[in-house]
Amino acid sequence: MSDHNAQDVEDRLQIVTRLYGDRLDDDQLAEVRKGVEGIVEMSEALRAVSLRNGDEPMSVFPPYREEE
Amino acid sequence: MTANDYVFTSIRDLGGLIESREVSPVELATVFLDRLEKLGPDYNAVVTVTRHLALSQAARAEQEIADGNYRGPLHGIPYGAKDLLATSGGIPTTWGAAPLRDQVFDYDATVVERLRDAGAVLAAKLAMVELAGGGGYRQPVASFTGPGITPWDKGRWSGGSSSGSGAATAAGLVPFAIGSETGGSIISPASNCGVAGLRPTYGRVSRYGAMALSYTLDKLGPLCLTADDCGLVLEAIAGSDPKDPSTTQRPFRYDDSDVSGRRFRLGVVKGVADNVDEPTGANFASALEALSSIADIEEVEFSDLPHEAINRTIMFAEAASAFEDFVDAGLPAELTAPEDRYGLYARVAVLGKDYVKATRLRALMARNAEEVMAPFDALVGPTRATIATPLDQEFRSAALHGGRDTMGSVGNGAGLPAISVPSGFSDEGLPTGIQFMGRAYDENAVLTVARAYQSITDWHTRHPADLT
Repeated sequence: MSDHNAQDVEDRLQIVTRLYGDRLDDDQLAEVRKGVEGIVEMSEALRAVSLRNGDEPMSVFPPYREEE
Repeated sequence: MTANDYVFTSIRDLGGLIESREVSPVELATVFLDRLEKLGPDYNAVVTVTRHLALSQAARAEQEIADGNYRGPLHGIPYGAKDLLATSGGIPTTWGAAPLRDQVFDYDATVVERLRDAGAVLAAKLAMVELAGGGGYRQPVASFTGPGITPWDKGRWSGGSSSGSGAATAAGLVPFAIGSETGGSIISPASNCGVAGLRPTYGRVSRYGAMALSYTLDKLGPLCLTADDCGLVLEAIAGSDPKDPSTTQRPFRYDDSDVSGRRFRLGVVKGVADNVDEPTGANFASALEALSSIADIEEVEFSDLPHEAINRTIMFAEAASAFEDFVDAGLPAELTAPEDRYGLYARVAVLGKDYVKATRLRALMARNAEEVMAPFDALVGPTRATIATPLDQEFRSAALHGGRDTMGSVGNGAGLPAISVPSGFSDEGLPTGIQFMGRAYDENAVLTVARAYQSITDWHTRHPADLT
């Protein structure tokens, strides 16, 4: 894992521990760390694919209006 | 016919017997209710047997048919629903999770309503992996009802997360069941349990009243004894629903026309069987040989996108939101699998920009899938990389046998329909599955190819010897 990604793991792990750290024991926290590492690896895989500005998600938000 | 003759009889045949009044819905419901109560615990397949409701619905069906109001092939047919489908009347809907074992809803899921309207009889709420695997389970023991067990070997896993839906259908506890799939949860138990399982196109079946794991990946579909039965059930549950804005306006009418003499064009994803165990590989090769008598088969390739990262990013982010209240209440600590007690926490680490990027990449994935698949009736591949694994074995590594599940990733990410049907057995008598995956909204194409495959093979006619 690169230094950038290692720091990314620490930063994101801080969010988890700030929100939920009091519920997790050391063993569980070690497993959560692995989970965060996996998420950072997924980020890297996504970043590796270039998209154009206009490449939109498939889902489109339909403004809602109740049927009359 | 004796009562036991109704077990392992297809919906189509049972429907014929009911329509001709050779069997009464009450008699049929009683046969399956008794089996659910007697045999369900052997496979950890059942959460709640809905005897009172089932007998009431069966009596109503019997009266309607006697009055000449036959509703169609599901009229009077018992079924089981995965226990993530809301049911009213005080029947618990547990999501497979110990802390929710007393959860009740005051409404019915749209699928439950539609099956009731078709005259089907709800006989049981079926066991499932807790939160449909939302916690990231790695082992069969991930439900408060115990590990799902395949009826072919009481030491092996049923597959999941629709474990009870697969096991109950395979054990002849119900003629059919409803399951859900986000990333393999219908076709995996179909394969491990040796039955047919249909994952419809995303949006084909309303998700209203179903537990949400991932709003844009969840699909509901049937598990049955045959592909033909899957078509009959899908026709009953498909259709737009104002309560689920993701449902398609495209109508679905099951095409059950004769398949004899038809010739198909099938694609095989390059390397799809490179990393499977020996029986799965051998049976897939035999299946291709059989299919070559009715199909032209060509190799295909999807573009090199990070399919799994796309799907998992979307699923993680959506699950983090879907289960936020559950997590904030500290309920993961009460789940059964140790890994589910912490698995949800890491998901708050998915960045918003990554979620959006994953949905943008998903659009590329869907367009590429359509381009690759357009010339074909279906793509074909092994459903799972391995036969059912032992109950005490972690399956996460075994599930992929060192490879990637490209068909599963593309199929679920792009929301494509697929059906798994039995393709043979291992030396120790465990079933393997073959899947046919089609273009969006082409359920009839995959059903037709699967029916044709079942017309030239007899794997689907075999059932566990101790249960027949």
